[in-house]
Parts: sequence; structure tokens; C-alpha cells
Amino acid sequence: MFRLQGSKTLAVDLAGDAVKAKNGSMVAYDGRMTFKKMTGGGEGLRGMVTRRLTGEQMAVMEVTGQGTCFFADRASEISLVSLHGDKLYVEASNLLCTDSGLRTGTTFTGMRGSAAGNGLFTTTVEGTGQAAIMSDGSAVALRVSAQYPLFVDPGAYIAHQGNLQQHFQSGVNFRTLMGEGSGESFQIRFEGEGLVYVQPSERNTIGGNV
Amino acid sequence: MPFREINSKMVEATVIPGQKMFSQRGAMLAYRGEVSFTPNIQGGQGGVMSMIGRRMANEATPLMTVEGSGTVMFGHGGHHIQVINLTGDTLYVEADRLLAFDGTLQQGTMFMGSQGGVMGMVRGQVSGQGLFTTTLKGHGAVAVMAHGGVIELPIAPGREVHVDPQAYVAHHGDVTNKLSTALGWREMVGRGSGEGFQLELSGSGAVYVQASEEKL
Repeated sequence: MFRLQGSKTLAVDLAGDAVKAKNGSMVAYDGRMTFKKMTGGGEGLRGMVTRRLTGEQMAVMEVTGQGTCFFADRASEISLVSLHGDKLYVEASNLLCTDSGLRTGTTFTGMRGSAAGNGLFTTTVEGTGQAAIMSDGSAVALRVSAQYPLFVDPGAYIAHQGNLQQHFQSGVNFRTLMGEGSGESFQIRFEGEGLVYVQPSERNTIGGNV
Repeated sequence: MPFREINSKMVEATVIPGQKMFSQRGAMLAYRGEVSFTPNIQGGQGGVMSMIGRRMANEATPLMTVEGSGTVMFGHGGHHIQVINLTGDTLYVEADRLLAFDGTLQQGTMFMGSQGGVMGMVRGQVSGQGLFTTTLKGHGAVAVMAHGGVIELPIAPGREVHVDPQAYVAHHGDVTNKLSTALGWREMVGRGSGEGFQLELSGSGAVYVQASEEKL
């Protein structure tokens, strides 16, 4: 059971079950806990090789025990995401903790990834359960529906879930080439039905500099 | 209690004539009324001998004495501030985390080795506390800084709390702490979970943990 203790600490009540969390993110616990590093994010040999090749490396540990375990990482804000059989796409660096009922994997993102400053691949989380994602500043979840596509700055995007198609679009024009760009020359357009999580801060991206 | 939290990163203190307060030098943001700030070379209370003690223990942070009548706002480096009220028990905290505290509190320095001998010294090294730590005792309030928000975890007999040494901020009460290691062959081959060392706190009291593994 995941709950937030303040906005920056995640408390997980465990009763003999296991959760996967970012390596080294435990800050305190009571009761009895064991921590075990899972090589390759606990996805087996194939997952390990894929993660190495795609650069979506994720150091994950498995936490088992009884009691309450507290997680936090560099004072990032934490948001909880509930999954009911759908898929969450999130950057490995933004994923803090996942339930035992969830599977993680990697997927190709195409153009968006390289402009968002996080590579060509992203991490997927699927199944039924809860996941905790981290953001620099508290994240907002924006709903996307068929009539209302959403445009997101690649540097502020952290995760999305649901049935969404993403397109990369650029507004590069004469001004941009002259070095007079507004800094908003690239956007990701989301269409379909789902939720997009956006943080109130921008990573350094190639797109943000032009 | 003289501290009032304005937001998570600022506290306001009321200064009454005849009551001293100590704060980290340069932590004043604004004040109202007639308040004077005197740099305190001794780094706290207790005369020259205590000063030498603190210097040797490397627990000497530049402090200033705040006196007068009015209100003072404190904040430092954008760190989160936690106000801890002490009612006769002892707070153990690193000197550089102290933002401000009541003059009624008794300040002291504790040798880590006095709690658990050599293991205590090792513990100090692992948690970045060094060989010495600062103690505050009595009735009054303390404002402590931390990176990220702070949570307070109660410690009760039979319900010990384990804390990541890097996320440890302070503790108070009648608490014994020891360093517990969970080192196995995985750590030896560089495949550790990053949680090889933990502080195990038992007894009765409370421990303050920050939501980050960064030191100040």
C-alpha cells in the first residue's frame, strides 16, 4: 500500500510482499526489511541486455519485509499513479517505486525521446497496482481526450499513461535560425485518451535551446 | 514557543527583552523592532573552555546572539526548516544543521565514541556526523535545516526504526543508536542495493529524516 508522507516522501506498508524501488532510495524503515539489488531491473537476462543496449539503465532493488518503508530521492516531488491493466510510460530516472503486481520493460520512443533529452528509449510499467513517479516540482496530470490534443514541452514531460499517440512537432522558422527563437520550438503532441504528467521545470534539452 | 513557521523554508521568532537566542550567522532574513545581532566568537554557550572543545571537535559553526524586542525571520540556503520543541529531553543534531535555537537550551558536544565505543566512531564517519555531534538540552524550541521535507518517525520500545545514514537529520529522546550493516557478497562485487549501512535507533523518542540523501 503506497501513501505519501508529505509531498516528498513515499511510505510503503509491507506485509511480507515485495516492491521494486530505485537503488539507494530508502531513507528509513521500521519493522524488518531486506534490500536486494536486482540486476537489469528484475527483467531477466533479456531485459538486462536490452537496458544496457538502449541506455535506459535502471538500478533497482527489491524490498521485502514487514513494516513501513520510507523512500525519497533528492527531495523530488512524488506522485502516485494507479494502474488498472494499462501501461505507464516513464523515464527510468523518474521512476521511484513500483508494486509487485507491475512489470517493467523498455520501449522505443522515436524522435520525442532525443528531443526530450532522455534518449530514444523509455521505460514502460504495466499491470495492476501502484507506481510512484518523481518530478522536479509537483507534477500536474493533464487529461487528453479525442477532441483535445495536448502539446507538451519535451523538457517538462515526465510520464504518460493510457491510449495515446505522440507526435513530435517543431515550429522552427526563420527567427529560430537567426538565433531569435522563443525556446519553444519543439513540442510533443499527444492525441487519444489518457493522462500526461508534466513537471513545472524543464530539463536541459536540445529543443529548449533553440 | 518562540518559533512560528511562515512557510516550509522560513521561520519567524519572537524576541523578548532578557531572553537570548542563538542563530547561525547570516541566517537572518528580516526583522521588526529593536533587535541586535552580535557575532558570537565562542560559537555558543559555556565560556572559553566550551569554545575550545567545539573547535577541537570541529562542531564550531559561526553563531550569533540575537537580543532585543521584536520579531526576526530566519532562513538559509532555501533549505527546509523543521521546528522541534524540546521538553526536557536532549536533541542530537549536527552543528551545521542548526538554524536557530532558544537561549534557554543547554548546548554541548558529544563524542560519538561515548555511545558504543569504536562502533560509535565508525557510525559517525558513515553518517557524515564526524566524531562529534552537538547536543541541545532543556526546554525550548530549535529550528533545524534539512534538504527536502522532513518527516518525524516515533521510536518506541520494540519498534525500532532504521534510517539511511545520509538521510538522518536529528533525533531526540532516550535513544540508543547503532550502526547495522547488511553487507553481503553482493556489496563485495559491486552489486549492492545501496542500503548497506543503516542506523538502527531504539528506545523512546523520535528521529527526523529528510526526503533526500544529500548533505547540507
